[in-house]
Amino acid sequence: MNIARLRRLAWATAASTILLGSQGSADETGGVRFAAPERILAGDAFLGEERLYPSPVLYDMDGDKLPDVVVGDLFGRVTVAHRSAAKSPVAFGAEKPLHDRDGKPLRFHNW
Amino acid sequence: MGSQFVDFNADGHLDYLTATFDGSPHISYGSTEGFGEPERLKDAQGQRILISSIWNYETGKHENLGRSMPDGKPCRERCISALAFDWEGDGDYDLLLGSYENGHLYRQMNDGTNAEPRFSGRNIPVLAGDAPFALPAKMTAPRLVDWDGDGDLDLIAGSFGSCWGPTGTGGGVYLSRNLGKKGQPVFGALETLIAPQPKGGTEPIRPDAGLYVDAVDYDGDGDLDLVVGGYSMWTPEARPLTEEEQATVARLQKERQAVQKQQADVMAKVNAEAAKSAEGLERTSKEYRQKRSEAYAKYRKQISAIQKESQRLASQIGELVPAPQRKSFVWLYERL
Repeated sequence: MNIARLRRLAWATAASTILLGSQGSADETGGVRFAAPERILAGDAFLGEERLYPSPVLYDMDGDKLPDVVVGDLFGRVTVAHRSAAKSPVAFGAEKPLHDRDGKPLRFHNW
Repeated sequence: MGSQFVDFNADGHLDYLTATFDGSPHISYGSTEGFGEPERLKDAQGQRILISSIWNYETGKHENLGRSMPDGKPCRERCISALAFDWEGDGDYDLLLGSYENGHLYRQMNDGTNAEPRFSGRNIPVLAGDAPFALPAKMTAPRLVDWDGDGDLDLIAGSFGSCWGPTGTGGGVYLSRNLGKKGQPVFGALETLIAPQPKGGTEPIRPDAGLYVDAVDYDGDGDLDLVVGGYSMWTPEARPLTEEEQATVARLQKERQAVQKQQADVMAKVNAEAAKSAEGLERTSKEYRQKRSEAYAKYRKQISAIQKESQRLASQIGELVPAPQRKSFVWLYERL
């Protein structure tokens, strides 16, 4: 194990709590900090609104080298919101169903 | 429904791996034409891959099975998340299975190849430090990401927390660093990335419950941000009411109570008729549910009218006395 990795291991062992999210404040160990969370828009609506436990995953679905947002839910329904080409600010188009090869909305089985 | 885009069968096309609350991992294989019909993953014995608790579509019942657990005993843990991960570094994807109830993580090894997988059907607990990986307050789904930039994949995962009601503590997001090496991952003790917070605010300020997380460089500044789906729960601040408005609220609440009693009375009739027509049938069976559906159908129009009236009254009350809100969103935690 090299020295750099040993240092990372020592830091990781010492830092048991890294972050306080909604207050946007840093922890005392000098770990990772996040800004106060903000809701993501997809078109004119909030992303994931009216979904049963929205579960996002970011992946470049259209091959433009920009991550799009795919959102699944408890019903097994899947939508995709494509990232707009503009580099800043980050913006997504409206959510649309992700379709299967037969043109039907992709739907995973759930009881 | 944690999701992973991965070329699972190594055919050059992106596949979509996930798990649902039926208790098994599912996959939609990609092709030049797009994604195919989702199917459940099977082990080398041709059986559904699971942890223990599943929904059996054939029998129409929940079942608790021990065949995949290390001691062969059922443990009432349901797989609701799945990831493809080459645990041994031998070039084929093994499976990580996440449980809802205890927030545990299990690995199931692939004794075949990506093109012809042979999953063992045996779950091996994943450790976080010296203890079993166990997210507090129920796990939504884990993710594999090189969080610390050391070239190997770490685990981040969200938890459910208290999912109902305006009080209680919500869920969080946790990290378990991979401290091992390729082919020998060793995951460290859980560290908190987003701490759970008490619910009870007057506006949506964060995801409170059911935190599903992904890590990505959202803004292209070279570090990993977090994108988190979940429910926010808050109660808007009430304004002072005039005496007339207070009287209106009292009247509307009384009317709503009367409507709710009507609803309870109708449902009691539905339950009584269903119980009579389903006598002798197991309550968890498909046939029992069919009888219940038939009984409900007789009163559907009446129930619908009552529900509409209840919602109308709730809406009018809500204009004067804000009701607790519970709405789903997806949030960005931008790394500073």
